Amino acid sequence: MRSAQDVRSVGRRSRFEEIYAAHWAPILAYAVRRTSNGDDAADIVAETFLTAWRRLDDVPPGDEARLWLYGVARRVLANHHRGERRKSELSDRLSRDLALVHQDPEYTGERAVVAAAFRSLADADRELLALVGWEGLDHGEVAAVLGCSRNAVRIRLHRARARFAEAVSQVDSHALVPNAIGDRS
Amino acid sequence: MNDIIAELSVISDEQAAGLVADATHADLIAKITATPYQAERRDMPVRKPARTAGLVAAVAMSVAAAIVAAALLINSAGPPRRLPRPIVAEALSFTTFGGYIDVIVRDPLADAKRYNAEFKAHGLHIRLSLVPASPSLVGTVVYFDGSSAINPITARGRCWTGGGGSHCPVGLRVPIDYHGAASLVFGRAALPGEHYETMVPSTMPGEALHGLRVAGRRVAAVLAMLAGRRVTVARYLVESPRRGNVVAHRVPLRWFVYEADPWAPGQVVLFVGKTMHEVAYVPRTSQPAPTPSPAR
Repeated sequence: MRSAQDVRSVGRRSRFEEIYAAHWAPILAYAVRRTSNGDDAADIVAETFLTAWRRLDDVPPGDEARLWLYGVARRVLANHHRGERRKSELSDRLSRDLALVHQDPEYTGERAVVAAAFRSLADADRELLALVGWEGLDHGEVAAVLGCSRNAVRIRLHRARARFAEAVSQVDSHALVPNAIGDRS
Repeated sequence: MNDIIAELSVISDEQAAGLVADATHADLIAKITATPYQAERRDMPVRKPARTAGLVAAVAMSVAAAIVAAALLINSAGPPRRLPRPIVAEALSFTTFGGYIDVIVRDPLADAKRYNAEFKAHGLHIRLSLVPASPSLVGTVVYFDGSSAINPITARGRCWTGGGGSHCPVGLRVPIDYHGAASLVFGRAALPGEHYETMVPSTMPGEALHGLRVAGRRVAAVLAMLAGRRVTVARYLVESPRRGNVVAHRVPLRWFVYEADPWAPGQVVLFVGKTMHEVAYVPRTSQPAPTPSPAR
């Protein structure tokens, strides 16, 4: 006969598996879009779901879990960029699967201008625009990820778009080289 | 604009779904769930009183936490208080117990240098800065960026914030052996002529239009209401489904107001449009982003 502890443990694992199955693809895509190699992307994904496992009671139900996970992934990524990378064996196998996913995008023409302008933005502006443009989130969802009000998102997004438009107009297209985005040059 | 940014995405969710072998998922899940979650409590210091959904949970754990009136917390002060060897500082209070340091802001109007010095004196590399905030956020923490090892301390039902509802973080709980860096931004009163950098809707408690209903009313009616509060419109933001908000300084009086946000003392910004209902952004979630390739 299983003890109450065992039952709780099985239930916990089962809930985690449901969350993982429902959301791993968007979280992986989030990580790949913001990293330059498979090792980093795999670390972000593994660390994000490890946090979900440890804080399972905090993960909201349904699709709100995805926004919660984006929020975790964003913070994991920020720590990663600050050099607080905690390389673990959790992600070894995932790293191998992702070895070829980061191909060097070669941008030319208008897209190179857009890429350079996007890269020139402050991290906060870039993340805000990316959550809308890449993850396809609406204002309310961005607010949930960032933990601020929907109105604050609107204002910040408005300002970020203005700065992005300004950056596009400032880019000297003649000075551009291919691969002008990210760290993939 | 969303479209051209979307074109920079290197992968869609659907493409990501095809990258990983089933065996890899099984391996990762097995390794993660083998992690002794209770033994790792150093990394998950705050056991919140109850799970809350959505925005609140996102806030509670979060990268950017809209926090509450610190003035409230002086009375309500979040954490369970069995314990303590409190070392009361002038601007912040630090209470140590159970392997954690609870930090509560006591003086929301102190100079940032004092906060930083007090954090440093406790061996914490936490930076606190101040930004002009709309009235109800003055003296509150409006942004937090730091390690998951640091969690907010919340006080439920004693305050209201735009992002957190009544579940309000009022301080920080930091593991005693935490040596990482974190940033914290506090709301302060705006100087004359200064724009708010952080705000909640103007109709919220403590804000210039508290008690009024502006959403769904025509611009003309809202302007009359504003005049009664001696509030003026700094600018209008006209919603466009594809271009986001477009600034306007005059709009037809028959248009509709969706929301009012604080802009500066005595000034608001109105979100407006031709129709009574706000225009939704075109959802892009299910649309695969194109893979970048040599263009043209």
